[in-house]
Amino acid sequence: MAENQVPLTAVKVEALVVMKIIKHCTQTFPTTATGSIVGMDVDGTLEITNSFPFPVVEMPADSHFDGAAPNPAAAAPRAKANVAYQAEMVRMLREVNVDANNVGWYTSANMGSFVNMNVIENQFFYQKEMNEQTVALVHDVSRSAQGSLSLRAFRLSPKFMAAFRENKFTTEELQKSNLKYQDIFVELPVEIHNSHLITNFIHQLQTPTQSAPTDLPSSLAALEAGSLAKSTVLSPNFDNLTLSIDPFLEKNCDLLLDSIETHQTETNNFQYYQRSLAREQGKITAWQTKRKAENASRAALKQPLLPEDEWQRLFKLPQEPSRLESMLNSRQVEQYAHQVDSFVSSTTGKMFAVKGNLLPGETAK
Amino acid sequence: MAETDSFLHLARPLGQVAVGAAPSTAPLNVVIQPQALFSILDHSLRRNADQERVIGTLLGTRSEDGTEVEIRSTFAVGHTETTDQVEVDMEYQKQMLALHLKANPKEVLVGWYATSSELNTFSALIQNFYSGQGDGTWPHPAVHLTVSTDAGKDIETRAYISAPVGVTAERAADSAAFIPVPHEVRYGEAEKSGLEAIANAKEVENRSTTIFTDIEALERAIEEVIGMIDRVSRYVESVIDEEAPASTAMGQFLLNTLALAPKVEPADIERDFNNHIQDVLVVSYLANTIRTQMELSTRLATAQLTLGGGEVAVEVSNAPRSVLLLKKPVLRQRGKQSTKK
Repeated sequence: MAENQVPLTAVKVEALVVMKIIKHCTQTFPTTATGSIVGMDVDGTLEITNSFPFPVVEMPADSHFDGAAPNPAAAAPRAKANVAYQAEMVRMLREVNVDANNVGWYTSANMGSFVNMNVIENQFFYQKEMNEQTVALVHDVSRSAQGSLSLRAFRLSPKFMAAFRENKFTTEELQKSNLKYQDIFVELPVEIHNSHLITNFIHQLQTPTQSAPTDLPSSLAALEAGSLAKSTVLSPNFDNLTLSIDPFLEKNCDLLLDSIETHQTETNNFQYYQRSLAREQGKITAWQTKRKAENASRAALKQPLLPEDEWQRLFKLPQEPSRLESMLNSRQVEQYAHQVDSFVSSTTGKMFAVKGNLLPGETAK
Repeated sequence: MAETDSFLHLARPLGQVAVGAAPSTAPLNVVIQPQALFSILDHSLRRNADQERVIGTLLGTRSEDGTEVEIRSTFAVGHTETTDQVEVDMEYQKQMLALHLKANPKEVLVGWYATSSELNTFSALIQNFYSGQGDGTWPHPAVHLTVSTDAGKDIETRAYISAPVGVTAERAADSAAFIPVPHEVRYGEAEKSGLEAIANAKEVENRSTTIFTDIEALERAIEEVIGMIDRVSRYVESVIDEEAPASTAMGQFLLNTLALAPKVEPADIERDFNNHIQDVLVVSYLANTIRTQMELSTRLATAQLTLGGGEVAVEVSNAPRSVLLLKKPVLRQRGKQSTKK
């Protein structure tokens, strides 16, 4: 680790890595996929030049719980076997001139649902054990399928790191450190970078070598079968123009409802804690007054006084539940809300455009 | 490009027949996934200065009847080449293969690549190693993919399989008849958005780009559509002005496309539109309400409060649901107003 590190400000991802991550994440979708990314840190810009997936232990078929199944892939980045795997892979890659420094890990997400304990723990593990300058790349498969690529880079904020290290998530500590759910992650801007050869290759893809430019087709069938009728790979994705975002919105609402449910459970937990705390405190005060009265009568009878701090042994105050879970939940809700916003903003635009087209004159009023 | 080449499938001559599974002579198609090609190009950039070409291993899947090979990923293998001998780091190749298979248990060894179009004795030697028994792909043919990476020229990819030739056993070890096989680069739906983002950097001086937001992507798509419509209408106009040759097929095609426009009653559109936009806006509004409530709840839970702090937090956290119910009708009206404008 270098001593005078410049804090990371941006992430530059090679086209190769983008493609590899997309491949891996879509292949395993909807289960989470995780992998390691390697590259170099150049003056605060993290250049990610290669990546490789983590091996996943296939779960036996009979241990099929739905929903809450412990996902082996989600915990993979911090599993012991994978640390060894990663070290080995990095050593191998170095032999063929790849900038093999471990700079983080990637994970796939479904509709932005990546704010959970696994991600936090993984990233914490990386930033603590491996190297401070590591990032988590999150590729959202279902959002990418909708048209535009979604690849984001996150780090844990120093404040959160400090709190997480000591597990300070009680109300009192949070008041002191002023840590809010907005401060969990620091998002870094992601840039995609191509090598010269890839630029060359893409130009070649764009313009298939055509010697005879205008050869008019002889029949409709010939035209439809011809190469010109097929959409080229690199033209903007017209999936963007589709109007049906209902499935996406629906999924988003489901996820939001889930989050509210979690929130409810968390607050119930807290409520329970508050109640039992109040009960215990009531008992203690009762005990203290009783003891005081007893002592007063003993003092009157000139007997030795009983100790008044014995209650600390007799009663146990309940442990305050950690606020971490509800913090993460809030962050997740924020994420969903933003997502809904961005869906809606593009759809309303599209819908007004369609309406304007189908009913000319209506919108011009 | 290879797509324009035509191929004649020749049944390759087989070598000495061994016991057990016999190698097949079935026709072979090679499908390359873009990320495999990208990693070959990346490897080619990272070669040592004095190396003419680099080689590596191709991994992928083979269809059940063995007629289609899909190259999914690759890894580089170090090798040194001099005028009279070639050294391939076999130990490395084995270890790397084992590592790779751990993470991708479904992929198998299918062949190897080199970053120059040239085929020479060394190619034959390496090819025989990859197609051999034991560590190789036998009884399936090993695929050899060449990707030319000469500066200033188009990138040319070719795929080959081989057949043994040579009169004696010693000669046969370093010779092979390479037979070209058809191949194509195939893009999946999921890769499209990635490629689009990557392609966006192609005209930029520093070869880098940022990722679009949804709105930007929409804007680009709409611009593209407008451009296409312009192009078509220009063409149609020039046909009408008798400047360009007319084509019945083209006219038919355009007419078919125009016929795709739906015929719906304006009232239906109005109604559906209003319904839909209201739903959408309600969802958006609710999402933001929930977010605000969450924020309020966390703020209150951690705020500096006197003894009653906990109770307040609890009360607030119960609030979102009731608030949501209250807000709904209000929102309906709001949605209507905005559509009437």
